[in-house]
Amino acid sequence: MTAPSPLAVGSELLFREAALIDRQDWDAWLALYVPDCVFWVPTWTGDHTLARDPETELSHIYYATRSGLEDRVWRIRSGLSIASLPMPRTMHALTNVRLVEASDAVLDLEANFSVDVVNLRNRATHRLFGRYAHRLAMREGAWRIARKVVTVLNDDLPSVVDVYSV
Amino acid sequence: MTTLGDLSRYIIDDPARGAFRVHRDIFHAPEIFELEMAAIFERTWIFLAMESQLPRPFDFITTTIGRQPIILIRNRAGALGAFFNSCRHKGARLAYTESGNAERLICPYHAWTYDADGANCAIKDARHGHCGPAFDAEDHDLVRVPRVASYRGMVFGCLDPDVPALEDWLGDMRVLIDLVMDQGERGMELVPGRTVYSYAANWKLQAENGMDPYHLTSTHPSFIELISRRQAERRDLNAIRSRDFNRSLTVDGGCFTFPYGHGCVWTVNPAPEQKPLFEAREALRARVGDFRAEWMLNLRNLTIWPSVQLADSESLLLRVIRPIAVDRTEMRLYCMGPVGEAPAARARRIRQHEDFFNVSGLATPDDTTVYEACQFGFGARAIDYHQGYARGTALIERGPNALARQLGIDPLESVSGPFQVQQEIQYLPNYREWRRLIEAALARGPADAAPRARAAE
Repeated sequence: MTAPSPLAVGSELLFREAALIDRQDWDAWLALYVPDCVFWVPTWTGDHTLARDPETELSHIYYATRSGLEDRVWRIRSGLSIASLPMPRTMHALTNVRLVEASDAVLDLEANFSVDVVNLRNRATHRLFGRYAHRLAMREGAWRIARKVVTVLNDDLPSVVDVYSV
Repeated sequence: MTTLGDLSRYIIDDPARGAFRVHRDIFHAPEIFELEMAAIFERTWIFLAMESQLPRPFDFITTTIGRQPIILIRNRAGALGAFFNSCRHKGARLAYTESGNAERLICPYHAWTYDADGANCAIKDARHGHCGPAFDAEDHDLVRVPRVASYRGMVFGCLDPDVPALEDWLGDMRVLIDLVMDQGERGMELVPGRTVYSYAANWKLQAENGMDPYHLTSTHPSFIELISRRQAERRDLNAIRSRDFNRSLTVDGGCFTFPYGHGCVWTVNPAPEQKPLFEAREALRARVGDFRAEWMLNLRNLTIWPSVQLADSESLLLRVIRPIAVDRTEMRLYCMGPVGEAPAARARRIRQHEDFFNVSGLATPDDTTVYEACQFGFGARAIDYHQGYARGTALIERGPNALARQLGIDPLESVSGPFQVQQEIQYLPNYREWRRLIEAALARGPADAAPRARAAE
């Protein structure tokens, strides 16, 4: 039996991440990320220009370590955030997964996404869609997420946006 | 407007009894929303942009005044003018993008062309048109927004030619705006990028909440707890130095109210070192003096009613309020900072903004959720008045208090006391001005609900 291709390995991890978010399996989701990961959702600075430098330009979300994602999970579970009570239902759909770069240590992948969200307070739905750029790193014998950059194309945002919305 | 009944019942202002009441109908009745657009948003000064967003000749931005599409453009000589974003020929939109640079505005439909002063400089195939003398005698220029003026880089426009001068309308809010705009020796700028979001509730909920100290500990406990955890665990995110609201409960705070709807809430900053501006404090003191520097490091939220708020608490926020419908409001958020700010301070300023103010952050989604909860609650039509304008009533001083005099401002009312008062007096000017403008519109008659920009010419 031949080893799965880097594209297959990477795609499987991206699909798994999406499923863990939709199942709200937050511990398993956090475990996909390395502690020094970058999680970045840049803003648009023009019709076709994205923020390139989070130190000088605004982001929707920017964390340079997993600590920020851990804050998010804590808040979701805390019972202290009305925006997270009740949690919405979400569905992540990924397509057009491409392998950009592959080595023994790093896999760079790009994909298109759309996320549908049902707000259970008022049954309103919204969809954000755009592009993912994932960098996977081989750590302790497993591929994990070292960097995730999310480009939201329809950035007229709804009233609640969290890590599960993109 | 007969369906609205007696409008005087909506705002009850009885200082002798210490009573101020706002009727819930004004948050959910569609007819009142229509009246608000015509009588308030299309009659008073509305924030359009920061001048720094359009620095060069022919730079433009597109926005709205009330429901109406506007283009704000800098002409060849550098002066700003605002026009309805609509071709005189058949009405098509002329500028499509949020911002851009255009020496000529060319209609995509029949190519009528306008310069940056709004003058029609080309009607396609005019010579062969045989339109006749009536057409030739008409003015084909863009319709100008009658009033455009700036204060400290904030550009406002008004569809009513008879509105008071911007400086008079702002009054002593100017002193408080100066405390923001003087923070940078070389001026202030917007950080590149902005966020736009909407919520399913009335615009006045944001106007109030942006000034509401009372909700912080109850709407944002998850944010407060996270900040405590970051501090206790000395985690890397503690470098953001987001504000710990628990510390505010030990300090003094208060508010000032002004004519034309404006207000300011303030809190002594228990941890000024959390502000990005703190790094530059020595130079700041030398430049603006100890007292003004201390006040720049204090926490101040300003409402320049009805369209824009400056929150100098976390980071430094510029928030633009755009009503879409009685139960739909669009928010546009910008992060402001001093030109030439040190890189580490700038990065922290941006992180603070994202942490607290972003709708993808850790606090604003809880605000928007409670706005929507209020709008849902307004469905209970049997209930008439809010009970949310009472805290601090017994502490009101008419006119300036000692602190106001020290700041050099002459407010209508002053409240100072422990932050724990978490006063609600700062909303009073909003609703007094609401009533004044609505009554003025009704006195002019129902036909006057329509804007009269043409009359300005």
